[in-house]
Amino acid sequence: MIKTILAVDDSASIRQMVAFTLKGAGYEVIQAVDGQDALDKANSHQVNLVLTDINMPRMDGLKLLELLRKLAQYKNIPILILTTESGDEIKAKGRAAGATGWLVKPFDPKRLLEVIGKVIS
Amino acid sequence: MSEILDEQVASNLYFDKSFNHQAVKLLPGEYYVTDKDMLLVTVLGSCVAACIRDCYSGIGGMNHFMLPDGGADVGSPLNASARYGTYAMEILINQLLKLGARRCNLEAKVFGGGNVLDGLTVANVGQRNADFVLKFLQTERIRIVAQDLVDIFPRKVYFFPKNSKVMVKKLRNIRNTTISDREKEYRQRLHKVDSGGDVELFS
Repeated sequence: MIKTILAVDDSASIRQMVAFTLKGAGYEVIQAVDGQDALDKANSHQVNLVLTDINMPRMDGLKLLELLRKLAQYKNIPILILTTESGDEIKAKGRAAGATGWLVKPFDPKRLLEVIGKVIS
Repeated sequence: MSEILDEQVASNLYFDKSFNHQAVKLLPGEYYVTDKDMLLVTVLGSCVAACIRDCYSGIGGMNHFMLPDGGADVGSPLNASARYGTYAMEILINQLLKLGARRCNLEAKVFGGGNVLDGLTVANVGQRNADFVLKFLQTERIRIVAQDLVDIFPRKVYFFPKNSKVMVKKLRNIRNTTISDREKEYRQRLHKVDSGGDVELFS
C-alpha cells in the first residue's frame, strides 16, 4: 500500500524539491504551506508520516508538532523536522514535543529517504 | 573530510563616515538582517546578493553567495547546486521573518553574477548564479523590484534596508585581485561542502 507523507514548508522551492524526492521514491505527498494548513490537512487525510519545517508564518513547526501529538491518530505517527535550525535548545524543544527526528538543511535526498524508510511503518 | 558550509552572519561592522551610517560589510558566504537604519555593503564579482526587505516595516537584509557546482546530477532539480542556493536564500528569509518581517510583504533587489572569474571552466558561473536567484524569487513569489545582473564588471552594492535605497557602483578599473581571490577561496570551500546537514533520530 502506498504511504502518504504530509510535507510542510512555507518555501515553495523546498516543497517542490521534497515532493520530487518523495514522489520519486513512490510515496504519495500532500503539501502544506504552514502549520495551520498542515493541521487542516492532517485532519482530513490519512497520513503515514509528517515532515515539517520549523520557521513558518501563522503556525510554526513546533506548535504543529505539539497539536498533532494531542490528536489520537497522530500519537504514534513519525514526525520529522526538516529545518535550517541546528541549535541544541530548539532541538531539545522538538524532542520534548514529540519529534521523531531532526534533519538540518540543506537536505540530502538520499539521506532523507533513508531516514523516512527507517521510521515509517 | 566533508563539512557543512554554514552561511555566516556578517561580523564586519563599522561606522561609514561617507554615508553617516552604521554599516556592515558582507563577504562571500555571509548574510545580515536588521530592523535598524543601517547600511549593508558588499562587493560582488560572479557571486550574487539578494537585498530583501519587508516593504512596510523596513526590516531587511542581504546575502552574498554563489552556487557550488551541480556535480554529476547537474540536470536534476535536486542537484547540490540548487539545494545549496535554496538553503542560502532560506537562511536570509528565515532571519527576516524572525525579526518580524512578513513573507507576503517581502520584495527583493538582486545584483551581481558578473562573469569576472578567469578561466573557461568558470565562464558561466555568474550567469548561473543570476539565473538561480531570479528563478528562486519567482518560485517563492517574492517581487523583484530592481536588478543589475551579469555583465563583465564587479559591483559594489550599498543597501539601505530602512528606505529600500540601493546604490551600485560598477568597478571598471580593478587594480588588484582581491575580489577574484576572495571568490576563488569561497569557491574552493564550496567544493568541499557536504551535500546535506546533520541528521538525528530521537527514537
